[in-house]
Amino acid sequence: MNWSNVKLIFFREVRDQLRDRRTLFMIFVLPMLLYPFVGISFFQLSQFMREHPTEVIIVGRERLPAEPALFTAEDKFLSAWAETADESGEDANKLLNLRFDVPLDEARDLLQEGTVQAVLHFPQGFDALAIAGSGNEAIPEIHFNSAKRKSQVTAARLKRVLFGWRQAIMFGELSRRGIQPQDVEPFALAEMDVADESLRSAAFWSIVFPFLLLIWALTGAFYPAIDLCAGEKERGTLETLLASPAARGEIVWGKLLTVMLFSFVTVSLNVASVGATGSFVLGKFQSTLPNLGSPPPLVYLWLFLTVIPVSALFSALCLALAAFARGTKEGQYYLMPLFLITLPLVVLPMSPSFELNLGNSLIPLTGIVLVLRAAIEGDYALALRHLAPVAAVTGLCCALAFRWAVDQFSKESVLFRESERLDLWLRIKYYLRHRGATPPVAAAVIGGLLILLAQFGVNFLIAGKTRSIVVAALVPQLFAVLAPALLLTFLVAKNVRGTLSLKLPKAWSLVAAALLAVAFHPLALEVNTLVQQLYPLPAETQQAYAQIFDTDLSLPLMLLAFAVAPAICEELAFRGFILSGFRHLGHKRLAILFSSIFFGLAHFVLQQSIIACVLGLVIGYLVVQTGSILSGMVFHFIHNGLLVTLSWLMRDSVPALHGWEWFITSSAEEGLRFQWPAVAFAAAITLGLLTYFRRLPYEKSPEESLQESIERQGILPAWR
Amino acid sequence: MIFVRNLTKSYADLRRGEFFALRGISFDAYAGQIFGLLGPNGAGKTTALRILSTMLQPSSGTARVNGFDVVREPDMVRHQLGFVSANTGVYDRMTAWEMVEYFGRLYGIPDEVLLPRMEDIFARLQMEEIRDRLGAKMSTGQKQKVSIARALVHDPPLLIFDEATSGLDVLSARSLLNTISELRGMGKCVLYSTHIMSEAEKLCDRIAVIHRGRILEEGALDRLKAEHDENDLEELFHKLIAADTSTEADRHAVAG
Repeated sequence: MNWSNVKLIFFREVRDQLRDRRTLFMIFVLPMLLYPFVGISFFQLSQFMREHPTEVIIVGRERLPAEPALFTAEDKFLSAWAETADESGEDANKLLNLRFDVPLDEARDLLQEGTVQAVLHFPQGFDALAIAGSGNEAIPEIHFNSAKRKSQVTAARLKRVLFGWRQAIMFGELSRRGIQPQDVEPFALAEMDVADESLRSAAFWSIVFPFLLLIWALTGAFYPAIDLCAGEKERGTLETLLASPAARGEIVWGKLLTVMLFSFVTVSLNVASVGATGSFVLGKFQSTLPNLGSPPPLVYLWLFLTVIPVSALFSALCLALAAFARGTKEGQYYLMPLFLITLPLVVLPMSPSFELNLGNSLIPLTGIVLVLRAAIEGDYALALRHLAPVAAVTGLCCALAFRWAVDQFSKESVLFRESERLDLWLRIKYYLRHRGATPPVAAAVIGGLLILLAQFGVNFLIAGKTRSIVVAALVPQLFAVLAPALLLTFLVAKNVRGTLSLKLPKAWSLVAAALLAVAFHPLALEVNTLVQQLYPLPAETQQAYAQIFDTDLSLPLMLLAFAVAPAICEELAFRGFILSGFRHLGHKRLAILFSSIFFGLAHFVLQQSIIACVLGLVIGYLVVQTGSILSGMVFHFIHNGLLVTLSWLMRDSVPALHGWEWFITSSAEEGLRFQWPAVAFAAAITLGLLTYFRRLPYEKSPEESLQESIERQGILPAWR
Repeated sequence: MIFVRNLTKSYADLRRGEFFALRGISFDAYAGQIFGLLGPNGAGKTTALRILSTMLQPSSGTARVNGFDVVREPDMVRHQLGFVSANTGVYDRMTAWEMVEYFGRLYGIPDEVLLPRMEDIFARLQMEEIRDRLGAKMSTGQKQKVSIARALVHDPPLLIFDEATSGLDVLSARSLLNTISELRGMGKCVLYSTHIMSEAEKLCDRIAVIHRGRILEEGALDRLKAEHDENDLEELFHKLIAADTSTEADRHAVAG
C-alpha cells in the first residue's frame, strides 16, 4: 500500500467534492438552514396546534340534584370537578362547550357526523344521591366515537369531571354520617421526581442525538460515495484512474477517507445545528415542556467519539454499493434499502425495554446507540463495560464492509458493467438457457430466499393440522428445503453431481468428519449456553422445545425426524446447491460464510440461527475441503443425533446422567454441558482434526483460481 | 514493445451466453511506429486495449508491454503506458493543470522533473489558455488535449489511443493526429484504435484488422494493400469484413 497515493487521491476527492454545489448544499448549507427553519416553523405553527374547545351535548340535566351541583349558572361544569394534577379546572372547562337543548337521538346523530365530540346522558331513573348498594341501575352514559382522537380526549375529560363530582357526593354522604373523608382514605400519594434538570435533559437528548447521528452519518456518506464511484463511472474518469499506477486498494482507501470525512462533517454540523436550535426552541417553550434544557456539554464528546466508527462503517457500505451501481441514478435507488435495513437497528434500541447488555451490544449499530445513550445519560460504568464488545463488532463490520468495497473495485463485471437495463426475466432466461456446470451466485441467493419463503409457507400450512412432531419436522425438510434445492439444481446446473458434491470422499475423511462431529459436540453445547446467556429464550419458546421430547416417540423415530432428515435435506440444499453457487464468488471463505448465513436464517429463532450459523461454518469447511457432501451429512447426522439421543435419554429426569456428573451435567437453566476438562480435550481434538482437513488438497472453482492469481499480483490482500 | 499472443477474453452475456470479446488475437508493435487496431464497433478493440492497460484480465493468452507481463507485473506495465480513451476521462471539477499534476504525482514524479515537464507539454499541445479552466467548461477537443497531456506526463514509451478522435471536430481531430505523428517521431510506440479508415491510412505504419474478436489481417499497410490488390484501405477493410461475415454465415448455415 502506497500511502502517498492514498493521500493524493484523498485530497483530490475532497477538493472535487468541495467544488460540487450539490454536496456543499447537502453537507454545509442544509443543516445550517433546516433546523432553524423547522424551529421557526414550529413557533408559527404552535398557535394552530393549541387545543380547541370541543362540543358536548348533555341530555337529562333535569334529573340531577341541586346539591352538589354539577353545572354552574353559566352552563359550565363546576371547575372544582374538572381540576387535575396537570390542568386547572378553569382551563379544562374552557375546552368543553356544553349544550343542553338536544334530545338523545339527535345528539347521537350529531356525534356520528362529527359535529359534536361527546354526549353525556343521564338516563331516566338516575338518582345521583341514591344510597350506595340500593340498586341505582340507571347510570350516566358517555357516548363518544373511538375512531376520532378528539372524541376520545373529550370522553376522557368528561370522565374526570364526573369522577370529581361523584367523589364530592360521596364525601358529602360520609360527612352527613359523621365520617371525615380523610378517615376513609388509607393514604395519600406524593410523586417525587428525583431527576434534576440536567438528567431530564440528558434523557431527552439521548434519544434525539443517536438517531440523528446514524441517519446523517448514512446520508452524509451516501451522496459523496455515489458521486465518487457511480458518478466517476458515468463520466468515464474511473477508467483513467484504473489505468494509473494507483492500486485498487489505494483508490478505495482514498475514496473511503473522503466519504468518511464528509459523513463526519455532516453529522457534526447537523448535531450542532440541532443542539443550538433545540435549546432555543425548548427554552421558549419552557412553560409547556417540562424543563428540557440545552444538551449537556459532555454529550458532544461522546458523539465525537462515536461518529468516527459509525462514519467508517457507513462510508465503506456506501462505497461498495456505489461501486456496484452503473450510474448515479441507479446508485440512488440503493439508498432506500440501506435505510430500511439500518432504521430498525437504530429505532429499536430507543424503546425503554431495550437495555444495554452483552447480547444487545453485539448487534451492529444497536450496540452503538445503546452505549451512546448510556454515556449521555451519565451511566459511564455501564457504557464502559460494553465498550469493548461494541468496538469489536463495529470494527469487524467496518473491516467486512471495507473488504466488500475493495472487492467491488477488483471486479471487472462491476467496474465495466454496461448500462443495461436490469431485466429479471432476461436474467432467468439466461440462466436456464446457458446453464453452467454449477449454479451461479444469483441462483444461490434465489435458492436461499426460496427455501426461506417455502419454509414459511409450509410451516404456515401445516400449523395446527398435525399433532405428530415427526410429520411436522419431516414435511418442511422435504418440501421446503430439499424440493426447492433439487428443482433449482436441475433447472440451472448441468452438472448435478458436481453441484450437490455427490462424490465419495476418502474413507479417512469420513472417519475424521465423524470424529469431528463427536469432538465438536461439547463446543457446540458451550456455544449454545453462551447464546442462551446472551439472548435468553422466551419462556413459551423454551416450553415448546421441552414438549418435543415430552412424547412417547421411540428414539429411532426421533432420530429420523431430527437427525437423518436434516442431515440429508439441509446438506443437499445448503452445502450442496447454495455453497456451489457461492463458490463462483471466487472466495472459498465467503462462500462458506454466505451459505452458513442462509442455513442460520432457515432456523427462524434467533438463538437457533446463531448456533446453526456456527455449525454451518464448520460443515461448509468440511464439504469444501473433502469435496463431498457425505462428510457434511455424516457430521450433521452425528451432531444432531447426539443431541437428540441425550435429550431423549433425559426426557423424564436427570437420573440418566447419574454417575456421569464428572463428565456431563444438566440443568434447567443451562441445559446439557460438559465439564471443562472434557471441553478442553474436545477443543484440542477439534483443532487437530480441522488442521487435518486444512491440509487436504481441495478443488478450486475457476473464480477462486482467478482470484488467487489476482491476489498473487498484490492488487488485493489475500482473502481465501 | 508490445507482444500479444493468443489473447482471449470471454464473459457471460445475458443475451448471447458466454461471449468471446477476443478469440486468440496475436500481434506485435514496435517503438517509433504507429500500430493501428482497426475494426467496426464491438470488434474487440477496446477489450484488447483494456487488457494491455491492465484494467481487464485476459481469459487466456499472453501480453507483454516493454517486457512486462500484464497479468504478473501490472504495476510495471502501468508505468510503461499512457492511455487516452474516447470519453477523455477528464474530471469536471479540476483544471487542466491540476489534473495533469495529479496524475504526474500518482506516477511518483518528483516536483523538479514534473513541473518543467508539464510546462513543456502545455506549450507543445498549446494548452496555455485552458491551463486554469475547469474540465466542465472545456470543449471536447480541449478535454482530449488534457487527456493526452495526462497520458504523456510520465513520459511513457507506449501510448494507447482508443478511438481518440470520436466526437472531435475536423480541426481538433487533425491537431490530434499531428500530435500522434510527432509522438512517433519522438520514438514512442503508439497503439491507435479506430474505425475511421482515413485516419489509419494517414497515420499507421502497421495495422491489424479485427472483427468479432479475431484478427483477420495484420501487417504493414503497404504490404496488405499489395497482397489484396487494393489501393484504398477503406475498400480493403470492407472486403475483409464482408468475407469474414459471409464465412461466419456459412458456418452458421452448416451448423444449422
